[in-house]
Amino acid sequence: MDFSDILASSIHDIKNSLGSILNTLDALINNPDNQLADSQQVSLLQHETQRANSTLIQLLNLYKLGNAQLTARVTKQHLGDFFEDVIADNQALCRALALDLTYVCDAQTTGYFDADLIHGLLNSAIGNAGRYARTKIQLSAAKTQNYLVIRLEDDGVGFPESLLQWFTSQQQPEQIMVSTGGSSDPARTHLGLYFAARVAELHHTPDGRKGYIQLRNDYSLPGGCFELWLP
Amino acid sequence: MADEEYLNKKYLIVDDFSDVRSAIRSILRSLEVTQVDQARDGNDAIAQMTSRRYDVVLCDYNLGPGKDGQQVLEEARHNLLLGVDSIFIMITAENTRDMVMSAVEYAPDSYLSKPFTKDILKRRLDKLFERKADLRKVNKALMAKDYSAAIAELDDLIARNPKNLPDLLKLKSEVCLTATRYDDAIVIFEQVLAEHETSWARWGMGKALYWKRNHAQAMEMFKQLIVNDPNFVAAYDWLAKTQAELKQFEEAEQTLHAAVKISPRALKRQQQLGDLALSNGHPEQAETAFTKAVTLAKHSVLNHPSLFAGLARSKSSNSKHIEALKIIGEITKVFPGQPEAVFYKATATAAVKQNQGDTAAAADAMQNAEKAIAQCGETTRSKLGLEMAKTYVQIGEQEKATLLLQHAIANNHDDEEFLMELVQVCREANFEYDAETAIREIQQRVVKTNNTGVYLIKQGKFDEAIKLLNEAAEEMPGNKTINLNAAKAMIIRMEKQGASMDDILTVRRYVDRVQALALQDWRLHEVTSRLKNMTPTN
Repeated sequence: MDFSDILASSIHDIKNSLGSILNTLDALINNPDNQLADSQQVSLLQHETQRANSTLIQLLNLYKLGNAQLTARVTKQHLGDFFEDVIADNQALCRALALDLTYVCDAQTTGYFDADLIHGLLNSAIGNAGRYARTKIQLSAAKTQNYLVIRLEDDGVGFPESLLQWFTSQQQPEQIMVSTGGSSDPARTHLGLYFAARVAELHHTPDGRKGYIQLRNDYSLPGGCFELWLP
Repeated sequence: MADEEYLNKKYLIVDDFSDVRSAIRSILRSLEVTQVDQARDGNDAIAQMTSRRYDVVLCDYNLGPGKDGQQVLEEARHNLLLGVDSIFIMITAENTRDMVMSAVEYAPDSYLSKPFTKDILKRRLDKLFERKADLRKVNKALMAKDYSAAIAELDDLIARNPKNLPDLLKLKSEVCLTATRYDDAIVIFEQVLAEHETSWARWGMGKALYWKRNHAQAMEMFKQLIVNDPNFVAAYDWLAKTQAELKQFEEAEQTLHAAVKISPRALKRQQQLGDLALSNGHPEQAETAFTKAVTLAKHSVLNHPSLFAGLARSKSSNSKHIEALKIIGEITKVFPGQPEAVFYKATATAAVKQNQGDTAAAADAMQNAEKAIAQCGETTRSKLGLEMAKTYVQIGEQEKATLLLQHAIANNHDDEEFLMELVQVCREANFEYDAETAIREIQQRVVKTNNTGVYLIKQGKFDEAIKLLNEAAEEMPGNKTINLNAAKAMIIRMEKQGASMDDILTVRRYVDRVQALALQDWRLHEVTSRLKNMTPTN
């Protein structure tokens, strides 16, 4: 048994557990006779469980990245349809956090990307935005300069200026990791950003264009805006 | 309306954990689903699917010991337990993209990554029901092998420019390839690739070029695809196939070797690697591949005596004769009552005995093989004939081998893949037989007979044409083209001069032969539908 088998089988077990926690919580929330749970606490549990799941997928993908086994299988996607999938995946969580999760894009917008990878990446990003948003999170897509730009915005206080400055100074995804230093706080290790940058980079075209990510504030909502530029 | 969709459908949940099963069941209940059955492992699932037709099967990939989810799907499709409108969803813990392409022939309708919520499942099911409803007419035409009708239906859908346009184009290209309309398929691939590099389109382009016998260009397509998308395992299979066609056998073996590293669980690939390694004179690699294949096949509906025979042959080539004989002993235990198993047992025994220097025992075994092959149906005889010829060469009976090969060529004169296998068998056996010249000569003879038949029909000389083609069909019962043309000639005469019951029965026999040989043959639909219109007159 090699390590990837061990990893796969452990992940299978953990996912079974997370699945049962999530479904039990869902049943608790939807049961009108339930007197046990403080809904706020249940939501928190749900949120954290989903975060654990996203992190697990990210871990597996990072392992594959390390072994050069992760590639993007690009197919043509209908953005409206894709966003609806992503929203269905995160609806329960956002409802629990009393956040409005919506998307904006032209009915005909299409793009080329690996739907599984980008879906996973947006799940993590939504999980993250959920901690900062006040009332809403918004997904959008637009074609700009021959790129498809997918944006994830919230109406929170936005990314701290120091993070934006630091991020702008990073040229390569590798540097995002290097500059995380010895910090062990997950919110500060930028592992999520590193992963997002690597996944974006896996999307490239024969003419040499590569995907990348950008952070900014105050795009169409007042809070943070995570941008994914895909060729 | 959507709720009614759920209400009337029968669901099967397959998972080895009862907690997981009940969690999924409660999700389904919350979607107003009432008819839900559960299976705790692969065998249980197959048993339930055999006794009841399900509309939706939700099956976990990982089912503990025994069959895995993929093997459940393979068996269900193989034994026709799933209708065209049934939906099979594979539930996986891992990200599934790598699995998707490793199982092209037996792909589920959808993958679902766990854990999933009620919202996700509902959305997925809605989409799948909608898709099945959209494609109802297409699927019906495909079931009837009426590819022109299927393509016409697809063109209708495509003209509406729907959201799932890429899926429709992909499906249309697949139907075009099956119907040997390669140029139509290429138009689609070029159109898709012009917009953006897309793996399925590049793969399809390579396949179309391969079938158009444009092997060098096909090879470039597959190589480029592997550079773009190194995890696309099917590209390796096709590259290896193309390399073998171009006689680059060492390269073909290396290509398959790379593929099994990425996706080691595909049975057919391991077998192909084993065969290739054995004929390339790498018995150790062959043994590794066949060992893997036999292990993988244990719970699979695709398990086959040839896997055991291959393993025994490779072990014997590595001088492990005793182990080889032990494996041979298992063949008839694993496949009781099957003449094909008896056959493979006999030829493998002959090969091992010959390697041990016991020529008398080898000859005895071949006699058993002759008896067994006579018990096997016409459909498998060409394939078994190759195995037999290979073994005859090994034990020094060149003449017998030559006769078998000539027969096999005549029966498959236009089946490129089979003929390539035949050339490889000659190479593997180190046989001095000039297979390629023989193929050319026999092909010329068959094509001439065929063309003469067609010419006579055009001249209105039906009786002469039919006599010629009937004789040819009796001489080459496994030749699909000859049998189809003999059938066609008789149908044309019947359409013009009226049908007799005898003629109808003869045509039916030809059609049955072709159906047994290749149910998917694109030429069948025309003949069967014309035959249906025949009524005997006296």
